[in-house]
Amino acid sequence: MNINQKDIEKKWRNSLDEILKRFPERNNTFQTSSEIDVERLYYPENDSDYHEKLGFPGEYPYTRGIQPTMYRSKYWTMRQYAGFGSAKETNKRFRYLLEQGQTGLSVAFDLPTQIGYDSDDMMSEGEVGRVGVAIDTLHDMEALLDQIPLDKVSTSMTINAPASVLLAMYIAIGEKQGVPKEKLTGTIQNDILKEYIARGTYIFPPKPSMRLITNIFEYCLEHVPKFNTISISGYHIREAGSTAVQEAAFTIANGMAYVDAAIESGLNVDAFAPRLAFFFNAHNNFFEEIAKFRAARRVWAKIMKEHYQAKNPKSWKLRFHTQTGGSTLTAQQPDNNIVRVTMQALAAVLGGTQSLHTNSRDEALALPTEDSARIALRTQQIIANESGVADTVDPLGGSYYIEALTDKIEDEIGVYLKQIKELGGAVSAIEEGFMQREIHRTAYETQKRIEKEEEIIVGLNKYKLDEEVNTELLKVDEELERQQKSFLQDIRKQRDNEMVESTLKQLEWAAKNLEENLMPYILNAVKAYASVGEICNVLRKEFGEYGSM
Amino acid sequence: MAKIRVLIAKPGLDGHDRGALVISQGLRDHGMEVVYTGLRQSPAQIAKAAIQEDVDVVGLSSLSGAHRTLFPKVVEELKAANASDIPVIGGGVIPAEDIPFLVEQGVKKIFTSGSSIEDLANYIIDLVSPTEKEITKKISHIGIAVKSIEQSLPFYIKKLGLKLEGMEEVESENVKVAFLKIGESRFELLEPTDDTSPIYKFIEKKGEGIHHIALDVDDIELRMRNLSKNGIQFINAEPKTGAHQSTIAFIHPKSAHGVLFELCEEAGGDQT
Repeated sequence: MNINQKDIEKKWRNSLDEILKRFPERNNTFQTSSEIDVERLYYPENDSDYHEKLGFPGEYPYTRGIQPTMYRSKYWTMRQYAGFGSAKETNKRFRYLLEQGQTGLSVAFDLPTQIGYDSDDMMSEGEVGRVGVAIDTLHDMEALLDQIPLDKVSTSMTINAPASVLLAMYIAIGEKQGVPKEKLTGTIQNDILKEYIARGTYIFPPKPSMRLITNIFEYCLEHVPKFNTISISGYHIREAGSTAVQEAAFTIANGMAYVDAAIESGLNVDAFAPRLAFFFNAHNNFFEEIAKFRAARRVWAKIMKEHYQAKNPKSWKLRFHTQTGGSTLTAQQPDNNIVRVTMQALAAVLGGTQSLHTNSRDEALALPTEDSARIALRTQQIIANESGVADTVDPLGGSYYIEALTDKIEDEIGVYLKQIKELGGAVSAIEEGFMQREIHRTAYETQKRIEKEEEIIVGLNKYKLDEEVNTELLKVDEELERQQKSFLQDIRKQRDNEMVESTLKQLEWAAKNLEENLMPYILNAVKAYASVGEICNVLRKEFGEYGSM
Repeated sequence: MAKIRVLIAKPGLDGHDRGALVISQGLRDHGMEVVYTGLRQSPAQIAKAAIQEDVDVVGLSSLSGAHRTLFPKVVEELKAANASDIPVIGGGVIPAEDIPFLVEQGVKKIFTSGSSIEDLANYIIDLVSPTEKEITKKISHIGIAVKSIEQSLPFYIKKLGLKLEGMEEVESENVKVAFLKIGESRFELLEPTDDTSPIYKFIEKKGEGIHHIALDVDDIELRMRNLSKNGIQFINAEPKTGAHQSTIAFIHPKSAHGVLFELCEEAGGDQT
C-alpha cells in the first residue's frame, strides 16, 4: 500500500511540471504574515484511504479540486451577474465592471426575453427591462456588446428556453466583430429541467426542450468548441427552499438526464461532457457548503467514470460557478448582507469554485445600485488578495469535520439519486412533481422555524431595529417599456421582412423534422433581425407550451 | 363559521413562487381555504379566478419589479367586474418607496420580505371583517331585567303565548334567569338574586326593561381578539361562563353606541 502511495505521489509531482508551465503560480513562494512558508498542498503521508477518497487536486475523484494548483496559479473568475433596462444602459454597467477589475461578463435578461416574448407582446406588460436587459432583436444585442471585445471577454448568459436564440445572436455579433465562432468563450445556462422545478422560465414541454439542448451540444461541438453549452444549476433549486443535499442531488440528477439525452441523440459522452458546467449556491452554513462542493465533485466524477464509462478525464471534472444565496439576504438592515455574502463567498472559494458572483447588499429590496455592485466585487477581491486562503490548495482538506460532512453529503446525494432513478430519472421525477414537493416541504419548514425563532436571522427575528434606515435603490425607468417597444417597431419597418419571413419558414420546416439541428436555422433568422418572440412563436406552434403545474 | 377563502396569485412572468407556495400552505394551516393560481397570470385572469372562486381576499406576489404596473391592474379588473369589494393585498420584493403609490392605487396592504405568516393571517382575518360576516349570525337572546321572574312570567306565557324553556341561576352575575323561546331566539328574563347583581343596579337606575342583546358567535376568543384590535372595549376582558354553560363577554356600551351587547358562544358549538 505504501509503495503504491509513493508511486501516485511521484506521478502527481511529475505531472505538475507540465501544468506549471501552462499555469505558472502567482508567486514563487507563498508566505503567511509571520513568514511561514505555505506549501502547495497538505496531505497525510501514510494514509491508504487518502487516494481513494480524496486524491490529489486535479486527479480523480477531484474531491480537493479540479486543478493541481488551483488558485496558486489563477484566481477564480470574478463574474458579476448584471443587466437591467435597455441594452445601452447595461452596456455601460458592463464596461464599468470590467474597468473595476471584473474578469468575465454575466448577462441578466428580462423576463419577456427569457420566456420568448417580444417587448410589445401583451404578456410582457410591466416586465420589460425589469429583472434584466430587454433583448428583442440582434439590434439590441449589438448595443449590449458594443465595444466589448468578444475574443477577450468570456460571457455567461442566463438564458434557458430560448438559449439557442441568444447564443445565435452572440455568434452573429462575434462575426460582426471579426471574431470567429471557434474563438468565442462563455456559458449559456440552457438548463430547462430546473426551470420546471424551481425557476419558472420554461416555454416548451420537456421533450422538444431536450431536443433544443442536444442540438446546441452538437452544434457547439463542431462550431463553438470553447463555449460551455450548459450550466446545470442547483442555484435556483436552493433559492426555492431546498437543503444543501437536495440542491446537489437534484442538480446531479438533472445532469445525468442531459447526459442520457445527448447519448441517446447519438453523441459520444467524451465529445460533449467536457463542456458541461455546473452552477451552485453558497448559503450560510459555512462548513456544510464547503463539503457540499467537494462531495458534488466526487459524486459527479464517479458517475461519469463508472456509470457512463467516460474515458477523458475532462469528462469527469465537475466545473462550477457559484453565486451567493439571494434568499439569505434580508431587507432589514441591508448592510448586514455584506457580511453574509463575505462568508458565503469564502465557502465557495474554500470549496474550489471556478467562478463566483457575489450578491449585492440591496438585493432583497431591488436590483443593485452601482455602489452596491462594486462592494460585492470588492468582497471577492479582498478574499483573493488579502486573506491568503487562495495560497494553498483545498486548505480544509483533511479536517475531520469537513471530511465527515463531505462523506455524509455524498451518501445522502446517493440516496436521492437512487429514489430518482426508481422514478424513471429526473424528467419523470419532475413531471411527477417529486422534486418540487421535496423542495416545498423544506421551504415551509424553514419558514416555520424562522417564525418560531428556532432559526435566528440577525435583524429579522432577533437584533431588530425599531426604525429601518432608508437605502438608496436602483430605479428602472418607467419610460423604458415604451421606448423598447418603439425601437422594436422601427426595426420591424427597417429590416428585410421577406428575408425574415423566409428564414422563419425554414425554421418551421426544420422544427417539424426531428433529424434537423435547429441551430443553423435560428442563426439565419437572428441575422435577418427576426425577433426572439417571432422565433419562439414559430417553435411554440410546432412544440406546444408547457402548462404550469 | 365559513372558512376564509384566499386567492394567491402570481401576476406577470415572474417564476419565483417560493413565497406564494409557503404563504398558501401557511394560511391553510391557519384554517383558511387557499387557491393558488400558478405562474404567469394576467390581471384579467386573476380577477376572473377571484370571482369564480368567491374569495374573500386576493394576495399578489411579485419579485420581478412589475408590481407598479400589475398590482393596480388587478384592482382595476376587479372593479370592472363589479367585484371591488374583494380586497387586494400584495407581497414580494417591493421597495418601501413604492408602497404609498400601490396603496393609493387601491392595494390594501403590502407585506415585504421578512413578514411572518402569523401577521399576514391576522391581517386577513381583520380585513375580511368578521364583525359583518360572522358575528351577526343570529340573535341568541334579548335580556330583559325584571324585579321578579315569578311576577313577569304570566305576561310572557299567557299574554304573548311563549313557551318557558327553563330557569337557572347564573352565579357569576348573581342573577336568576328564565328562557322563553321565540323563533330561533329567546327572551332571557333576569332577576337579581342580591343587591350586588348588575341587574339590581340596572333596575335601581333605569327601572325594568331591555337590558342587553346577545349575539351568537362561534369562536368567542377569536372574535374578542379581533374586536379588541379594532378598538372595541369589553366590560370583561376574559370570557366567562353564562347560562346553559355558554361562554359570554359584554361589549362596553361606549363602544356600541349605547347598546349593551353580549357575545355568546353556546356550549358544545352550534345549536341547531
